Amino acid sequence: MEIEITQKENEMTARLVGRLDTPASQEAAAKIQPLLDNAEKTIVMDCTELSYISSSGLRLFLMLRKACAAKGGKVVLRSINNDIRQVFTMTGLLSLFVVEDA
Amino acid sequence: MKKTLVLHNDVREIPDLAAFVETLAEEIPLDPGLAMSLNLALEEAVTNVMMYAYPAGTVGAVTLDVDAEKDRVVFVLSDSGVPFDPTAVPPADISLGVEDRPIGGLGIFLVRQIMDSVVYARQGDRNVLTLTKLIA
Repeated sequence: MEIEITQKENEMTARLVGRLDTPASQEAAAKIQPLLDNAEKTIVMDCTELSYISSSGLRLFLMLRKACAAKGGKVVLRSINNDIRQVFTMTGLLSLFVVEDA
Repeated sequence: MKKTLVLHNDVREIPDLAAFVETLAEEIPLDPGLAMSLNLALEEAVTNVMMYAYPAGTVGAVTLDVDAEKDRVVFVLSDSGVPFDPTAVPPADISLGVEDRPIGGLGIFLVRQIMDSVVYARQGDRNVLTLTKLIA
């Protein structure tokens, strides 16, 4: 799992590459700290190359969403594929995010 | 067709489960969307055992037996850890708003959403979780 974070003035973009399974999510928890630190901004999660997510990965998205709710930012899901969208829908999480197609 | 995978209580072995499910899906065969759902449900169930069945610092096994029939795939997950019935966990309330949403608890919810039946039994000193998926 790779997470590439780029920062603009009022926006952080994180490009997720690979599978967000349980071990990858445990590693990713530390990597998303800069996003949590900027939760007053718009956080774009670029999921173009995200191929899989389990509940451990959903947990990271929810943590981020909660941090943004507390600090006034928002979380955008960009280009999630249909399988991953279905996992967000199944768990009732999709409606908590701004969903943006590429 | 019957297949078995044995993993240890170490989540770093989760990619081995993904590879196993991928091979299974090719052999049956199953479409990629269904294969991903099954992989997800199995990861959730297996991770649960890996993280909670055995005391920290001890090594334990998680066994996955698969029996693929014409109209169904039956997954039997077993371990010799502490008795735990995941089907007794109350279902997650997915209608809650962002502030009230608990951070955890989605794993078993996903297992129930994806599988057609989820049955737990304590057999001797083993937890046995039988997950059935009907296929067309």
